[in-house]
Amino acid sequence: MLQVSDVETAYGKIKALKGVSLSAAKGRITCLLGPNGAGKTTLMYTIAGILRPLRGSIRLDGQEIAGLTSAAIVSRGLALVPENRLVFPQMSVKENLEAGAYRRKDAAGIAEDIARMYARFPRLQERREQLAGTLSGGEQQMLAVARALMSRPRILLMDEPSLGLAPMIVEEVFSIIKSLNRDGVTIFLVEQNAHMALGVAHHFYLMEQGRVTFSGEPGKLAEDEVIQRAYLGTRRASA
Amino acid sequence: MIDIIQNTVDGVMIGSSYALLALGFTLIFGTMRRLNLAYGPTIMAGAYLGTYAFLALDIGVLPVALLVVAGAAVAGLYVERLCFRPFGEGAAIASMISSFAVWMQIEEAASLALPHHLNAFPRLVSGQPITVGPFFFRLDHLAMLAVAAAAAALVHVVLHRTRFGLGVRTLIDHRRAAELVGVPVTHTLTLAFLLACAIGGLAGFLIAASEAQITPMFGMWATTKGLIAMMIGGLGSVPGAIMGGLALGVIEAQAQWLFGPQVRDLIAWGVLFAVLALWPGGLLGGRQVAEQQAVQRRV
Ligand SMILES: Nc1ncnc2c1ncn2[C@@H]1O[C@H](COP(=O)(O)OP(=O)(O)OP(=O)(O)O)[C@@H](O)[C@H]1O
Ligand SMILES: [Mg+2]
Repeated sequence: MLQVSDVETAYGKIKALKGVSLSAAKGRITCLLGPNGAGKTTLMYTIAGILRPLRGSIRLDGQEIAGLTSAAIVSRGLALVPENRLVFPQMSVKENLEAGAYRRKDAAGIAEDIARMYARFPRLQERREQLAGTLSGGEQQMLAVARALMSRPRILLMDEPSLGLAPMIVEEVFSIIKSLNRDGVTIFLVEQNAHMALGVAHHFYLMEQGRVTFSGEPGKLAEDEVIQRAYLGTRRASA
Repeated sequence: MIDIIQNTVDGVMIGSSYALLALGFTLIFGTMRRLNLAYGPTIMAGAYLGTYAFLALDIGVLPVALLVVAGAAVAGLYVERLCFRPFGEGAAIASMISSFAVWMQIEEAASLALPHHLNAFPRLVSGQPITVGPFFFRLDHLAMLAVAAAAAALVHVVLHRTRFGLGVRTLIDHRRAAELVGVPVTHTLTLAFLLACAIGGLAGFLIAASEAQITPMFGMWATTKGLIAMMIGGLGSVPGAIMGGLALGVIEAQAQWLFGPQVRDLIAWGVLFAVLALWPGGLLGGRQVAEQQAVQRRV
């Protein structure tokens, strides 16, 4: 469904992505692991059209999306739940959800989907008039996911949704990921929490220093080694 | 007591035009996170276009109003292309300095177009003030209040009931997140800039029509009044701009009554410093600053 080939992205002169190729299969949960600074967030922003790649191709259902604006990419059915959630802090929960549907014009469908989000995340319903900036970290994460879903994405990108959350909330986030996937949403997930991520992933990649260094299915590579490389970046010493 | 009430009423009426000035200013600052010093001169350019047509063609006051608003919007587009569009995110100082350069440019151009320092401007309404008991209301000030209130209500509807307005509100709140939900950023910023300059143009028309005259100094005057009112209410806050404009009008009116008209601007600047010292986020912005800090602690 999503195919990234040979993508390079730079900040000024520093290349953060040095030819990344990977893909996320339709209906599956694909996971990207890697140590801090590997370039995972850079890749997510590049796919979502926030950063422009220097070269390479990004295809969504076979159509090139590299170089399109983020607005056009959202319209094509791709949404990103960004690192650090980035909810609209001064807007209410409800306004955040409305903003998530910015690209849509079907007022009735939007209202229906907001009701659906409240059913899925009851905490958001309780707090619908509260400013998003005053929600707890876990509530903000739920809101960030719900906001992304409001665009009715076919593929959902998630960048470290467990970041800074208590273990119980992390469990909740992962059960949401699984249930979204059961509902047919393709998921491409970046995680530092390798243990949890490998528990839900159908396929995973390991990224180190701007390159994909491993691709496989959970269970095949000794889990300990993956976790070690994801956290410590063992390649860093030898590269 | 009667005087104080009369001053407050006068202040609210004059302040309604300050509120519009601040509203335009805050829309630009809120969405772009940049100070547009050429904001007042942009308005003055529109007013000059209006007065030029008035003097040359002897057109009525309503066509003049339309010309002022349209002229301010076109001049605004020029400022946006020159000072804001070319600089990427973050180059706030470059934008501010170049807006200062354009300010000087517009002032020069206005002086060349109409060499007299003082130019006549048509009145919106004329007639005897209405008296109610011990109070009296100037007709042009009443008209100013009515038009400004209608314009502010219209802006509220645009911001809260249209997709464009939703985009503007998301940009004011968090630019990166706005991009993520698919707001066309460049396009929305340009439209917001145009809207801001048109609102400023309307304010400029109301003020010039009430003074029945205009000078090239009007640009600086509008930038400073807009800036002070915006800062009183809270940088980048829409309700804050309205409150700030009304508060500034009332404070000036009281000060003028107490100490005489020559201290009016002195008091305005004094109020700005007092607000910045006591409530750095502005009167309404203060709450938002506190909330923003709460937000930052969580992220
Ligand atoms: N805005 C930026 N300007 C310059 N360099 C940047 C910028 N953002 C990221 N980088 C650099 O690019 C590299 C990749 O960063 P990125 O945020 O993509 O890593 P990451 O894998 O998401 O890390 P983490 O797990 O810590 O989130 C890092 O070396 C980082 O310092
Ligand atoms: Mg990251």
